[in-house]
Amino acid sequence: MAEGKESESTEGEEEIRIGVYVCHCGLNIAGSVDCEEVAKFAATLPHVLLAKDNRYTCSDQGQEIIKSDIKEQRLNRVVVASCSPRLHEPTFRKACEDAGLNKYLFEMANIREQCSWVHLHDRKATTEKAKDLVKMAVAKAALLRPAKETEVPIIRKVLVIGGGVAGIQAALDLADTGYKVYLVEKEPSIGGMMARIDKTFPTMDCSICILAPKMSDVGHHSNIELLANSEVVDVKGYIGNFHAKVLKKPRYITRDCTACGECAKFCPVIAPNEFDAGLAIRHAVYTPFAQAVPSTYIIDMNVCLNKDGIIVCDKCIKACERQAIEFEMKPETIELDIGTIIVAIGADIFDPSALSNYGYGKYPNVITSLEFERLINAGGPSGGHLIRPSDMQIPQRVAFIQCVGSRSDKSGKLYCSNVCCMNTIKDSLLIKEHWPETEIFVFYVDIRANGKGFEDLYKRAKKEGVIFIRGLPAEILEDRKTHNLWLIGENTLQKELYKMNVDMAILSVGLEPRKDSEILQRLLTLSRTQDGFFMEAHPKLKPVDAATGGIFFAGTAEAPKDIKDSVTQASAAAARAGILMAKGKVTVEAITPISYSDRCKVCGLCTKVCPYNAITLNKELKRIEIIEAACGGCGTCAAECPFDALTQSHFTDEQILAQIDAVTEHDADKKIVAFCCNWCAYAGADFAGVSRMQYPAEVRIIRTMCSGRVAPKFIERAFARGAATVLVAGCHPGDCHYINANDQTQKRVERLWKKMEQQGLNKERLQLLWASAAEGERFASKIREMQTTVEKVTPEEIEHAKKVFEKTLGGN
Amino acid sequence: MPERIRHKPLGLEKVKHPKAEIHLIVDQCKGCGYCIQYCPKKVLEESRDINARGVYPPRIVDESKCVICSFCTAVCPDFAIFVVEKPCKETC
Repeated sequence: MAEGKESESTEGEEEIRIGVYVCHCGLNIAGSVDCEEVAKFAATLPHVLLAKDNRYTCSDQGQEIIKSDIKEQRLNRVVVASCSPRLHEPTFRKACEDAGLNKYLFEMANIREQCSWVHLHDRKATTEKAKDLVKMAVAKAALLRPAKETEVPIIRKVLVIGGGVAGIQAALDLADTGYKVYLVEKEPSIGGMMARIDKTFPTMDCSICILAPKMSDVGHHSNIELLANSEVVDVKGYIGNFHAKVLKKPRYITRDCTACGECAKFCPVIAPNEFDAGLAIRHAVYTPFAQAVPSTYIIDMNVCLNKDGIIVCDKCIKACERQAIEFEMKPETIELDIGTIIVAIGADIFDPSALSNYGYGKYPNVITSLEFERLINAGGPSGGHLIRPSDMQIPQRVAFIQCVGSRSDKSGKLYCSNVCCMNTIKDSLLIKEHWPETEIFVFYVDIRANGKGFEDLYKRAKKEGVIFIRGLPAEILEDRKTHNLWLIGENTLQKELYKMNVDMAILSVGLEPRKDSEILQRLLTLSRTQDGFFMEAHPKLKPVDAATGGIFFAGTAEAPKDIKDSVTQASAAAARAGILMAKGKVTVEAITPISYSDRCKVCGLCTKVCPYNAITLNKELKRIEIIEAACGGCGTCAAECPFDALTQSHFTDEQILAQIDAVTEHDADKKIVAFCCNWCAYAGADFAGVSRMQYPAEVRIIRTMCSGRVAPKFIERAFARGAATVLVAGCHPGDCHYINANDQTQKRVERLWKKMEQQGLNKERLQLLWASAAEGERFASKIREMQTTVEKVTPEEIEHAKKVFEKTLGGN
Repeated sequence: MPERIRHKPLGLEKVKHPKAEIHLIVDQCKGCGYCIQYCPKKVLEESRDINARGVYPPRIVDESKCVICSFCTAVCPDFAIFVVEKPCKETC
């Protein structure tokens, strides 16, 4: 609060000296923007002392130029026009700091992702847009104020969500480093998918043999608290200071259980064992598999006869010598304070029963690769004998069908599931090992053996006589008497049709995002790619970090990957979380609200819209109070304040209005003024740039942290200055990075639509878009759509809007 | 486990189920219906015939579903129902 006033009073004392640096980025920007011309233009802008263009501003050399200019030319504001601030803002901020300039006096113009890459073919328009973007950045820079970041301590505890191999590895690494780890697993036992697999490729190690010691380590580690059969139900807080609620579902068996298994012998209820993909039988009281950790048995209340607390059947209670069975157990909620979170929830398996042409679920001898793993596993339902389900005989001719559910948006998912090729090659070798006479056919699209030792395994399979046929079967038909299968399709290498008789067909199913990842996405405010897997902060340089601070990914939750990659990523995530916790503190961006108490009328509107309850109304002292540590920095309070008594640091009303004024100075009637939230829409626009999706150059993007920061007066100001159209873009409802601040966005835009209708304005000129960080195409197509509106808007309509919103031009 | 189960468990036929023999002492029943209400496997239903006490006693729907939990014996106020395990022959 005091800061805001201080900076106001210093205003005018100091002469503003801005340095502008226009980056060529090799040909990435210079290819479609005349950088020299942009720099020359920048030099003519107010307060600009010098403007330079260079090939790579982010290089050491480029940074040195900025640093020496700050020192020698006494620059007190720096503007770099280059890539997205989401990429290099930290780099340049650090350079400024090194030269003694407060990092909040730096501003960036995004002329690559949101300019040169999306308008590759119109050099003139692209250069004009780049000039505008630089002008906006300079206008904002002149109004920047230095700010001091607050430091927050980090709780040295980790929450690992998911107890598959990735979660286990991350938990062990962090526990060994000395941090307290809470490992939450939904299933009764940790182990995940790897525990169900028979052998691993390419070394043919026994999967459970290498995993079981790790599982047991987790069970015994003094730093790990294992919460199996539990779910994360709520997460609040921010980097370093999360507060999670974990629902621990009852096992109905106490820790006294010695896993002797006597209870299961007497249990009269049977059900298919999910761990064995339903191919084996378990009782209502059971342990999923022999090596389960925790080894305590569990009672499945969905099938147990004792419901609603009435003990109808007491056979297990009588059988248990240790009296470990307790039907009165209740679910309990455990509250945890943690500093970092590792998301390792894994992936689901594609359900091929949706593909009617393969007859899965209809023909008994069509099975999935996971069912195969359980059949060939010595601990599985058939004791390691590969038998076909229809007659329990060992099959003579086996077919593997690849890419089931992968690489096709018609029948499954568009992406490659990464593991199925090698898994099939491994499976075929396993069959050859036990039953060398078996004829094996692999129907494939492409064989992807791109890993260490993978090609060798592929060659070995070929040498052992596995026959690879390019071209998936179009259909599988069954001989009703023998239950043999006919595969019909086209061999695309030999360009001939095949009709092949086999005893058994194994569908090599792909991986898909877990169905419950949406819940976790909301709890942790994460983003997901179009495929549905979690999205990392940067695909190359921050592959395990989430965009939300303090959260990391490991394993197939991020993308399909094999065991080795999952373990690698888990260790990486553990290291990243460890770095944060070893530091012990983290700086929080100085973007909290500033209040001007002399203008405040104590109406309390801001307290109602704050998603974090960080603003409270003190009725006795007649003032509002801001709890900075609780503030998330969305700025929706500043947008709500009708008296301009609140504003957001680094995104002040003056700064944003200056950007709007800069955009609308020339040819406003041909422009789209877009307000994009930092986390979804702005990132989506960046993604459109990275993917080189082309859209009209008329759009000028103003970045705010949240779409909830966009005050109605910003939109009105844009129209009053003659803008043709305005776009407000943010995260999808429910995905807001600031809990629910974008609900306010919607309300404000709807209110303005109503106002525009009443005033006889075309409300199509104001658009609202929800676009996630992965929806570049959605953003681009919206701009294309709005461009048609821009062309339709008449000069009379522009004038009319100018008049309607005239009064917003005064003040500020 | 997330995926849906599509196949019948192998060796389902081989699972040994104790065969139950349910004995009803029909005329001792006063028709409270507790056994019908509490049977977890829904083996019993109300009979259509009146017994000597003038009430509807239970009757057996499907004896093979009974898992011999004997809860019916426990809840019956009139000791009118009991279950024994059938002696095992070659078939089981």
